Order: sequence, then C-alpha cells, then structure tokens
Amino acid sequence: MPVRHVAVAGAEGLHARPAALFVKAATDAGIAVTIGKVGSDGHADARSILAVLALDVRHGDEVVLRADGDDADAALDRLAALLGEPDA
Amino acid sequence: MALKVLAPLAGAIVGLADVPDPVFADALVGPGVAIEPAADSVEVGAPIAGVLVKVKPHAFVVVADSGRGVLVHLGIDTVKLGGEGFEVLHGEGDAVAAGDPIVRWQPTAIRSAGLSAICPVVALDATSVEDIAAGGVSRGDPLFTWV
Repeated sequence: MPVRHVAVAGAEGLHARPAALFVKAATDAGIAVTIGKVGSDGHADARSILAVLALDVRHGDEVVLRADGDDADAALDRLAALLGEPDA
Repeated sequence: MALKVLAPLAGAIVGLADVPDPVFADALVGPGVAIEPAADSVEVGAPIAGVLVKVKPHAFVVVADSGRGVLVHLGIDTVKLGGEGFEVLHGEGDAVAAGDPIVRWQPTAIRSAGLSAICPVVALDATSVEDIAAGGVSRGDPLFTWV
C-alpha cells in the first residue's frame, strides 16, 4: 500500500480551512485514504473532517498518508503536496 | 436517531452559503447554518451534549455519544487573533451538557478588529440537516436537526 510522510507546513496545522481542503481532496481521490501522526497509533479516515480535526495536527507535525486503490500514488502525491504547502 | 442541535448564542440566522468564507459557504466542512451574534452574545454554549474533542479560543467541536460532531466557529478568520479577546472555559476531553458555556468573547471587539463575527455551526461529515431555524434565535433555541 503506497505511503507518504509529510511535515505539515501550514502555520496553523490542520485546522478548519486547511483541513477542509485536505478532506475535499482526499474525498475527490475516490479511494480510501488514511492519515495518522508519526509517533502515535491512530489512523484517521482522511475523508472525515471530524476525524482529521480530532487528530489535532500542528504546524511541523509529521503525518503518514496511506491510500489503497487505483492511482493511489498519484493521489498521495497530490495530498502530500497540499499538506507540504505553507499558507498562501 | 435525530440529533437536535441548539443555538450556541443569540443572534440573527444567516444561511451558510452567505458566510464570507468559501470553506463554510461551500459546505466543505459540512452542512449547517450561521448566526450573526447579537452585541451582547458574550457567552457561547455547547450546541449538543458530548465530549469537547477540540477547543481553540475561536472554535470548538463537541462530539456526541453517537460519534456525531458539531463545530462552532466564532467569527471568520478569527484564528488570526491568536486567542486574544477569547476566554476558554473548558478543556479538551471535558464532557459537557448542551448549553454549557464553553467560551466567552466580545462580538463587538471582533467587528472592531475588522473581522466578521458570523458564527458557523456545522454538522461535521453530515449529508444534510433539517428544520433550520429562521429569523433570530436565543441561546439554547433549536437551531437545526441532524437526521
């Protein structure tokens, strides 16, 4: 199963706006995607805004993205790029 | 089983589509409604009973036993204030009853800072909500039903 590690670059981590954009991108990918914090056990469904908010990802936190299905690598590349972008 | 979500504060009802932030207006965070607070709406209550899964000065999420979570976001872009002007009354992980005060703030101070004080109340990951209140609400009034 393809995996990516990304350090979250947004100044406020994954709070409402960046979390919503991430969840939308994960949902649009059309495959199962999970996100977890490096160093802890939980794998949240990246398509659930509640699960992503509850992870409480802060600026600089490293996260693990996993995806399974067609074009999983391409989807992960897009999601990793989204998280690695500092805020505009 | 339907979840009745209560108004966290008093004010005028604003459709989510009219909130000046596309993340809420496009329902990217979920369906719901927003409240333009009355000037004296300084205390914000929990919209449902549950656990305070996330608390920031300008926003909080309460998750019911059923796993359904409701987000209350105080003002738009208020994360920029870095918590100034907000007093948080509970900690993450606290169990709260519907209506329990969670945060104190000053809507008028938010507006003086040039920000919108509109408060989106959102049913996270919900498909849709019903029985949305119209006109004005007092704190604790029914706001919408999560079917």
